[in-house]
Amino acid sequence: MVQTHRCEDHETVGENKEKRPKFFINDHVDILIEILKRLDGRSLCVAASVCRLWCTIARNDSLWENLCFRHVSPPPSSVRSVVLALGGYKRLYTGCVRPVRSRLGRMRKASWARDEVQLSLSLFCVDYYERLGGSNSNGR
Amino acid sequence: MLRYDSTSSSAGSSSGSLSSSSSSSKPPQQDIDGLLAGAGYKVRSSELRQVAQRLERLETAMGNSPADFSQLASDAILYNPSDLACWVDSLLTEFAEPPPTCSSDFIVDPVNNQTVVNSAWTAAEPHTPQVHQNITYDEQQSLDNQLTVVTAMEEDSGIRLVHMLMTCAECVQSGDLSLATSLIDDMQGLLTHVNTVCGIGKVAGHFIDALSRRIFQGMGGGSVNGGSAFENEILYHHFYEACPYLKFAHFTANQAILEAFDGHDCVHVVDFNLMHGLQWPALIQALALRPGGPPLLRLTGIGPPSPDGRDSLREIGLRLAELARSVNVRFAFRGVAASRLEDVKPWMLQVNPKEAVAVNSIMQLHRLLGSEQTRNSPIDTVLSWIRGLNPKIMTVVEQEANHNQPGFLDRFTEALYYYSTMFDSLEACRVQPEKALAEIYIQREIGNVVSCEGSARVERHEPLAKWRRRLSGAGFRALHLGSNAFKQASMLLTLFSAEGYSVEENEGCLRLGWHSSPLIAASAWQAVPAWDNHMSSS
Repeated sequence: MVQTHRCEDHETVGENKEKRPKFFINDHVDILIEILKRLDGRSLCVAASVCRLWCTIARNDSLWENLCFRHVSPPPSSVRSVVLALGGYKRLYTGCVRPVRSRLGRMRKASWARDEVQLSLSLFCVDYYERLGGSNSNGR
Repeated sequence: MLRYDSTSSSAGSSSGSLSSSSSSSKPPQQDIDGLLAGAGYKVRSSELRQVAQRLERLETAMGNSPADFSQLASDAILYNPSDLACWVDSLLTEFAEPPPTCSSDFIVDPVNNQTVVNSAWTAAEPHTPQVHQNITYDEQQSLDNQLTVVTAMEEDSGIRLVHMLMTCAECVQSGDLSLATSLIDDMQGLLTHVNTVCGIGKVAGHFIDALSRRIFQGMGGGSVNGGSAFENEILYHHFYEACPYLKFAHFTANQAILEAFDGHDCVHVVDFNLMHGLQWPALIQALALRPGGPPLLRLTGIGPPSPDGRDSLREIGLRLAELARSVNVRFAFRGVAASRLEDVKPWMLQVNPKEAVAVNSIMQLHRLLGSEQTRNSPIDTVLSWIRGLNPKIMTVVEQEANHNQPGFLDRFTEALYYYSTMFDSLEACRVQPEKALAEIYIQREIGNVVSCEGSARVERHEPLAKWRRRLSGAGFRALHLGSNAFKQASMLLTLFSAEGYSVEENEGCLRLGWHSSPLIAASAWQAVPAWDNHMSSS
């Protein structure tokens, strides 16, 4: 399991330092990213409150991209530019994918996974459009 | 709990008792309920009610004592899972005897009894039937009795109200206005005894208003239909948010248009009623992501002219253009301002012969119908110029109702049924002010159907069967909407709405309804190519 961020106690233990180097996850950001990639949405948000490094990593949109397409075959590359233009993967996940998945959860069939993502994308786009309207014209 | 896999049962259950029963003379198979048998459970039809009650008691018991339940999950050995009645009973005996008759007999009528029921439930948190345990049996009985009295009274008033509405409509049709007027007074008195917050009382109120408007103000019905374009757009938007009918229409039409545009690089969509353009972001996004890249998309939006210098069509166009730019879709918008659809001429749309055209009509074609079937009625004119554009697809969404019959009483009856169903479905919406404004939107439709005549009556809904005949006769053939559209519609319903909505496919068209009453129908059409040859030769 991942070691939580403990203070520099380990470095003061001088005797075994040369023989057995301690593993400190924050020194291995690539491994940390691999681990965080596999978390669910809620855990990822919790992870963002651990420390500044984790916060920066958890905010990285590619982790949320992974979350959106987790159970679906990887989408074509054009999807990314569209999603980023409409507000990013974190917003897509929290605003559309998660509600779609949780509400469809009861009735889910395996073949729906890809369609859920497509539906989420459409809803995300409508949501972006409605936000455009809110800022451009008052009270519409 | 027990995980029951229906496929294993049809293959021959592993439990020993099943094989023993098949070797003996067959038990009365005719008595086994067919639907449950299909799912793998054997329950006698005669026992269905008891089994249902026992299941309810089991559920209550499980809720009451979660500790026992978890032990049960690991310790229970159930021998014949298909015999539902037996294992429910055996599980029930594991639990302490639940309180007698409380929960399973506490049948609640959701329509009329909210005030009574709420007082019993507000104190309790969800999922804790302890409330029932605190009520003694006698108290429960008297509460039940009160409930039935209230129900009976309100149901009775509701039924009387409907009868009076029908009688009043009949009087209006036959011209007996004095009787109609006195009926209106009586009905308004009766309304005070009925819950007008929901159910039949609310719809009845709107119909009473519409009838009185028809009687007292004549049939211009100006104020009903005279809302400004801006108001109409707001109401429409809230109707969009409050219930799934418009979302269903948009998503289904978009799916059909997307499929029709496959392989074309220049595409042109003509929208007969742009409003806020809520339909188009999803199409733009789908085109942006289609394999092979997005085409050049032109959108021509038709809408009413806006007063005082505002150009609402252009504003929507700009918003859509910004969206299209964000997702890298080449986009061009044109607005056509027209107060009536029949005023639009095809040259205004500036269709390029090389582009693939889609015509999109969401609840607009019925406005072109008049009550007389003249030769060159507006509907024929418009349909013929649509054909002239040779569109790849024409998507038509219309209310599934027969509100264009010549007889007033028939129309009134149909409308009463249709809009009651629609208001029922709106009860599921919990968001305000969307719900209230959506109701006003529907109320305006009711007003137009009931209190207007002649050119003022624009809500001339016709059912899908009639549209099929009309469109086939005008040189169009139906395109099947396909399983993708159906799947998407199902997902959309599950996502947005309460239980009760249903989508059904009907000869390639999709219909969305509430509890098996279809309320809105979506279909797709294409111009028959050799039509002109056919016409000249016959």
